[in-house]
Amino acid sequence: MRWLILYGRSRQVPASAAAVALVALAVWTLHGPGPVDQAMAVLVLTANVAAASVGLGGWDVVLERTAAIRWMPRRAAHVLLAGACAGAALLTVQAAGVQLAPTEVVVRDSAGLVGLAALGAALCGAQFAWTLPTGWLAFTLFGPPPGGTAGDVVMWMISSPATTASTGTAWALFASGTVVYAIAGPRR
Amino acid sequence: MTGRVLRIELKRSVAPWPGIVVLGGSLAIFCLYDGLWWRGTAGWTAQWTSMALWTRSLLTFLWPLAVGTGAVYGLREPRSRMAELLTTVPRPAWRRAALPAGAMALALASGFGLLVLVGGVQVALGRTTYTPLDWLPISLVAALALVAGAVFGMGVARALPSVLTPPGLVLFFLMLTALLQQNSDGTLPSSIAPNRLAQLLPVTAEPREMLLTLSGSVHLGQTLWLLGLLATGFALLSAVTRRARLLAVIPVLAGAALALLVLPAAARDTYVVDKAAAALVCDGPVCVTQANRSRLPELARRGKEALRVLHEVLGDKAPNAVREDTRLRAIADKREPSGDVVLVDFDDRLLADATGEKLTRALIAQGLAPSCYGNNDREGGGRGNVPVQSVAVSWALHDSRLQPLAERGSDPYLRTIWLDADVAWQRLTALSPAEQRSRIAELRTAGLSCAADRQLAVLAGKATR
Repeated sequence: MRWLILYGRSRQVPASAAAVALVALAVWTLHGPGPVDQAMAVLVLTANVAAASVGLGGWDVVLERTAAIRWMPRRAAHVLLAGACAGAALLTVQAAGVQLAPTEVVVRDSAGLVGLAALGAALCGAQFAWTLPTGWLAFTLFGPPPGGTAGDVVMWMISSPATTASTGTAWALFASGTVVYAIAGPRR
Repeated sequence: MTGRVLRIELKRSVAPWPGIVVLGGSLAIFCLYDGLWWRGTAGWTAQWTSMALWTRSLLTFLWPLAVGTGAVYGLREPRSRMAELLTTVPRPAWRRAALPAGAMALALASGFGLLVLVGGVQVALGRTTYTPLDWLPISLVAALALVAGAVFGMGVARALPSVLTPPGLVLFFLMLTALLQQNSDGTLPSSIAPNRLAQLLPVTAEPREMLLTLSGSVHLGQTLWLLGLLATGFALLSAVTRRARLLAVIPVLAGAALALLVLPAAARDTYVVDKAAAALVCDGPVCVTQANRSRLPELARRGKEALRVLHEVLGDKAPNAVREDTRLRAIADKREPSGDVVLVDFDDRLLADATGEKLTRALIAQGLAPSCYGNNDREGGGRGNVPVQSVAVSWALHDSRLQPLAERGSDPYLRTIWLDADVAWQRLTALSPAEQRSRIAELRTAGLSCAADRQLAVLAGKATR
């Protein structure tokens, strides 16, 4: 228990949790009852994941690596939990009456986004882990959509959950991100 | 001294990256995709104003990016935990803040400037001969927006030194863009937000109508607001006391208030028709806008020939002028065909790149069976009319067999229409010359009243009267 508390503190969990709560509160107060708004849903999910992603590394990455504990399962669990929390926060808001996206979309998108964030942490460090999910989100919202299967792959965040290509992309991102991060850890 | 520090900043920090990303990312989008920006008269290399508006419409993601990289840059001192040490430096805080802000501004402005240069060179080498200077403020405001956004990001990051600040700012600005963004599907680009508020976003809609440009009051209002944002960013960046931080909010509020006073309330005062570009230049009965002047010689020659053929076929009712259509239309809106004038829309697939004989045929087609819906890369509504037009033109030019005006294509819907057109051609040519003439006159009447669905039936003699 003590380890968990210390770990959570070193991962800035309170700050991230506050940010996620703030986003949820903002959505709940600002969003009137309206039709399903997928763009807003992916925006909220990305915000949640970006808030959680700053905790993918500690204060001193080099020092942490010297600790004689098995980091691999802990890192994997961290990514899983971050994704679950990001999705759960949105689902809670939806349960409170704001309809943004169907549940399967929320699950798919939070998995893909947290995978991207983990990949970002492994490639650019935890401080800049948010750049990958946010960049992809920006392209999804405003970029030109390519046609066909390539379009489903690139626009996986807002494609229909029935398309295999988009679901496959999301889970491939999730798997590769989690594996790379669990093995390599955050970049120094 | 200043030059040396600036050089070190540019060499050793993240400052050049936003500039590189602005240039590289935009060119990647423009060049890797065969998107709408390459098409039509409002393409990004077709006209100066369109070029400026297309590059500016990329601010949808460049602006949040500039704010985010600014915030990352602003976190440099807190991250290295030397903020306290730096307060002991005897230089005033604003002078220390000016250099990184200047480096960032320089990088962003030159990145965007190079992008505009790439577009500008292509426009200059292109066919347009219309060279206005009205496009300059559009690009200058865009550069100012990028710089102001970056400095604002730096200032906010200095005031709230948390790792959450950069992603928070980026996502906040992305959300603002998504909420306030204008789309150009209507007659005039508009946003779901009130027009004044939407204009605070320096992002413009993707240009669709070549003649539209931004009005002067928009430039002025946006400049005021962005200068306020820049001032607040810089004040936050150089503030050392809490009171100075609170006071730093004043410029942005003042800028926003002034801007809201200046910015137009209605969409029709935001996007205005560029009168100089829309002025008609004529060669006899053939007129085009000043912006498309380079097309006049070819169009005049072919237009006169087409008018002669039309006169032969239709007699006194024939149109006696060819004019470029300058009316603004919403997507999928009807045109207003007229019996006296052959309206030319250079976005139309039949006319876009047509020259010589092909252009004559397209003009005769517009005169005999005018299409009410746009057949261009955005709409495709007039595509079903092409088989009918082909029959009419082949008849008017006494072709021995039906000559299609466009590829028949593999679309099953179009294929049926083409088969119907073949049948209609057979039946039409089997009639006596007088009956053929009256059939074509009927066809034209149906076209002028926008009854496109009835035209084939009319041709085949199956019209229900």
